[in-house]
Amino acid sequence: MIEVEGLVKRYGAHVAVDGVGLRVSPGEVVALLGPNGAGKSTTIRAITGLLRPTAGRVRVCGHDVVRSPLAAKSGLGYVPDRPYLYPKLTARELLRFVGRLRGVDDGERRADAWLEAFGLLPVANELIETYSHGMRQKLTFAAALLAEPAALVVDEPMVGLDPRAARQVRDLMRAHADRGHTVLLTTHGMDVAEALADRVVVLHRGRVAGQGTMAELRVAAGTGEDDLEAIFLRLTEEASEATPPWAVSAGDEPARPGPGAGRAR
Amino acid sequence: MRPGRRADLIGLRARAFAHAVRRAPGRYLVAVTLMGLVAWGTATLVDRGVRWIDAYPQIGTIADAALRRSVEAFVTILVLAVAFSVLTTAITTLYTAADLPLLLAWPLSAERVFRLKVFETYLASAALPALLTLPVLAGLGTARDAPWSYYPQAAVAVLALYALPVAAGSLLALLLMRLAPAGRVKEVATAASVLLAAGLVVGLRALRPEQLAELTPEQFEAFLAGFASLDLGASPASWAGDAVWGGLSGSVSPALPLLALLAWASLAGLGRVAAWAYQVGWVRSLDGTMRPRDPGPRPAAWWERPIARWGRGGAVVVKDLRLLMRDPTQWSQLLVLLALAGVYLVSTASLEVEGQRFRDALGTLNVAFLGFLLAGVGVRLAFPVVSLEGEGLWFLRTGPIPAAAVLGAKFAYAMPPLLLLGLGLGFAQATLLDVSANLASASLVAGGLAAVAVTGLGVGLGAAYPRYDATQAAEVPVSPGGLLYMTLALLYAAGLTLLLAYPAWTTLADPTLPVWSTPAGRLTGLLALGWTAAFAGGALAFGRWRFLRYEAGGD
Repeated sequence: MIEVEGLVKRYGAHVAVDGVGLRVSPGEVVALLGPNGAGKSTTIRAITGLLRPTAGRVRVCGHDVVRSPLAAKSGLGYVPDRPYLYPKLTARELLRFVGRLRGVDDGERRADAWLEAFGLLPVANELIETYSHGMRQKLTFAAALLAEPAALVVDEPMVGLDPRAARQVRDLMRAHADRGHTVLLTTHGMDVAEALADRVVVLHRGRVAGQGTMAELRVAAGTGEDDLEAIFLRLTEEASEATPPWAVSAGDEPARPGPGAGRAR
Repeated sequence: MRPGRRADLIGLRARAFAHAVRRAPGRYLVAVTLMGLVAWGTATLVDRGVRWIDAYPQIGTIADAALRRSVEAFVTILVLAVAFSVLTTAITTLYTAADLPLLLAWPLSAERVFRLKVFETYLASAALPALLTLPVLAGLGTARDAPWSYYPQAAVAVLALYALPVAAGSLLALLLMRLAPAGRVKEVATAASVLLAAGLVVGLRALRPEQLAELTPEQFEAFLAGFASLDLGASPASWAGDAVWGGLSGSVSPALPLLALLAWASLAGLGRVAAWAYQVGWVRSLDGTMRPRDPGPRPAAWWERPIARWGRGGAVVVKDLRLLMRDPTQWSQLLVLLALAGVYLVSTASLEVEGQRFRDALGTLNVAFLGFLLAGVGVRLAFPVVSLEGEGLWFLRTGPIPAAAVLGAKFAYAMPPLLLLGLGLGFAQATLLDVSANLASASLVAGGLAAVAVTGLGVGLGAAYPRYDATQAAEVPVSPGGLLYMTLALLYAAGLTLLLAYPAWTTLADPTLPVWSTPAGRLTGLLALGWTAAFAGGALAFGRWRFLRYEAGGD
């Protein structure tokens, strides 16, 4: 279980996260959405112990991340948005290191099982520096899941994955939650969030703009539309009168709207 | 950027640098002040030295010629150093720079982009040697009351001379990128440059200049005459010498424009060749896949298992040892260490002293020197170990491992080579100098304790002031944290020397006295232990505190 209460993180005068509260229960997948700079990564980093909150409390599996970091991190698996892995290790060596670090008893067997599941077994003895981005992302998932963590935190899971791998990752996050574990992910992919998440938390300018199931969010957004993208845009609406550059031609005359003009990307 | 409009690439770089200075003005102020002090000190030293030699006109022209040969030899050594270091620098700046794809996508000619890259390569590899050389020439100019025209001439000569090894080394790097095994060019280049540099250091020391002290005045004069008449032939180094010495007398040597032209042609030619090689994909060793390895199960190596039994800390040590073996920027540090040990042993072996008392006196000096040597080695071996986690730090920060265990693992990883060096050199100097038993034991104690203190200081302060963005170990200590480490390590070494002065002094008075069994000897030992524990333990505790509070930037 992941519990965040009144999380505040300040960098000098800048408030990155301002009183965020969320809860992810066992068996649940929760998607954390928000525009760039909304505070998603800061929240994730506070949950994983990479940042110290200015105020508020973060608990993982009932353990306070600041007061009992080791107990909290024992139950945590993390997949960062940029999967940096030691390039001069092989996949097997990396998973052996993670297994020892997390005290996994049958680490070798589990490592081989995950490598096989992700199709990495044929390159398991190659140096990670020779892997593609997608292969590294898969290996990061294998490392995060090796110890069967009670809480899995995933920052942008689909970046760099081919469609087959993306589907596989989506299925395994669902399966992980179905085994009674907790999954919290951040994503910009509305389709991923809609298909996978039991609940959605929308952050905007460091605050929770809305959270709940799709039905609850529809009520909160005051829209009758079904699609999460429309709800998200409504909840994070920016009051901007400026004309975007793509709507202006070289002669400063308004351009004819093209396909996708005005849609957030 | 509009096509046709000249993009000011160097101006762009200058603006980025100005922004960096504005963000951390204190750091740059300290760096500039230190560089200024070093330059002023060097210039003053050279000025005084040259004035001293010139105060003896009876030495005549031989002294002047010998001085010129010395300056040429100094510059030649730096030229070689530039040629070695540019091997790896050129690969990074000319071919793997992250901004290259962006710059080449702009409406600019590839030649212009690569001219900028050549300029960056020149700055990265030749700026420091030039900064070391210019104060030497400035000191020479002030001592000889040179006209104002001497200074720009000398500067042009030096800057042009250093362009030649940059071009030569970059072309050699280009060749390596064609010939080295696929995906291994950086490793090959690093290994080649480190081996050449270590060979140069050991080779220079193996000349044993102290032999000069054994010459009779007549033999020395003959040597000086021979050295002064050495002719480098029509080499760029001699052209630079002609330009500098011509400038001293107010004339402009024809060698100067020749040298400047050669430098310009070399760098411009390098830019064209590099642009061509990059665009036609000639640099095939840069990318490419390696021979696939057998994908079968590979159990943990025999040496891993005993270390891994230490738990989470052991896992970190095993991982670090694997990375050390595979990363040339790390294992090359061990080669530097071996080169230093070689220089130290050659120096010690060359000391021929008659009489036990004199040998003991020299042994005392060497005990002091050992601490300073280990402090210098520690800055390369112990200080960077935490920073080398780099972007992989998240594994440790999100894993269930206490900060103390991380630092303990780093300490255990960095300690063995330093301890081996400390004890090995302590034993070697005691044996080579044949000092008394008291001093032999003091040598071992100094070597062992200094290794512990230096490792603790390096790991602790390295964790407190990390540089996780450094691309290799040698970059890490170039920071205020590195400066603090050196200051404290030298303070430690000075304190240890003072403490060990007691057994040394007692031995000089009576070599047969069993110093360590006397109450004063035991107290000295305890104080040395406490002094070591205070530095190592204090730095590690401070490093742990700062490591726990380290935060990477938020979103």
